[in-house]
Amino acid sequence: MKFWLNKIKSAWAALSPNCREAVRAQSELLDHPLPLINRIGLRIHLLFCVWCRRYGKQLHLLHDQACKHEETLTVATPQKLSSEARERIKRKMQENK
Amino acid sequence: MEADSEARQEKPISPALSDPERWVEDHGDYLFKFALLRLRDQGKAEDAVQETFLAALRGGTSFAGKSAEKSWLVGILKNKIFDYYRKASRETTFTDLQFYDEEEQERFVSNGIGQGGWIHELGPREWQRAGESLDQEQFWHAYRNCTGKLPEKVATVFNLREVDGLTGKEVCELLNITESNLWVMLHRARMALRQCLEANWFANNR
Repeated sequence: MKFWLNKIKSAWAALSPNCREAVRAQSELLDHPLPLINRIGLRIHLLFCVWCRRYGKQLHLLHDQACKHEETLTVATPQKLSSEARERIKRKMQENK
Repeated sequence: MEADSEARQEKPISPALSDPERWVEDHGDYLFKFALLRLRDQGKAEDAVQETFLAALRGGTSFAGKSAEKSWLVGILKNKIFDYYRKASRETTFTDLQFYDEEEQERFVSNGIGQGGWIHELGPREWQRAGESLDQEQFWHAYRNCTGKLPEKVATVFNLREVDGLTGKEVCELLNITESNLWVMLHRARMALRQCLEANWFANNR
């Protein structure tokens, strides 16, 4: 009996996540599948919670676009190869021809 | 050296005498920036760039066009960086469960009614014209600054997964971390990044 009560308890918890859990679940869904019951619970939560919906939209936007902007991000790094390093590398390459 | 096999192509052709210098001039900065974003250390980045050019020399290939050349060099550099991570993960852990632990908790109601809900003023704001922002180069400068604030281990994990697009399993294998720790680190990094961008970019209503 206790076994079933516990089962129902954890199913209920999965079906009604709070925001903190929903935010974490949305992040995890980007990386791995979640059990069906957790996905259903998340969907229900998102129906009613505009903040978590917003969070998910923003999360997906950043996640989807990051890998498409690898070059832009690299170029945005302010530092440059120092002239000292540049010369050192050229010399090494000459030595190794 | 096994890593050089990546540099070797179908028909090895010796590069012209001026090529090494030209490679450094054409691609040195980009490769350095690429390495620095990932290795976070100027010396290590310079070494990685040097090793890339040396491996490229040994590979001995000519390409039509600078952009194919750049892609090829970046490919060699990526492998050098992965080798570095593999080696480093044997000596030090890439797990960081401290970062943003408290900040994450503090955004939600801690007890009583509405426990676990967003604290009203700390909830995510609406981002105006978000799609347009992501087309702007300046936005990615802000993104770069925000990821620069992530501590080194978290940044490494985040960049490999989000920018380089490795799967969770590949990141875990490369850095010798568990999947559950990976997910926690990514969740917190994403949260911190979103917050940083909201405060530094979207709040200015661009």
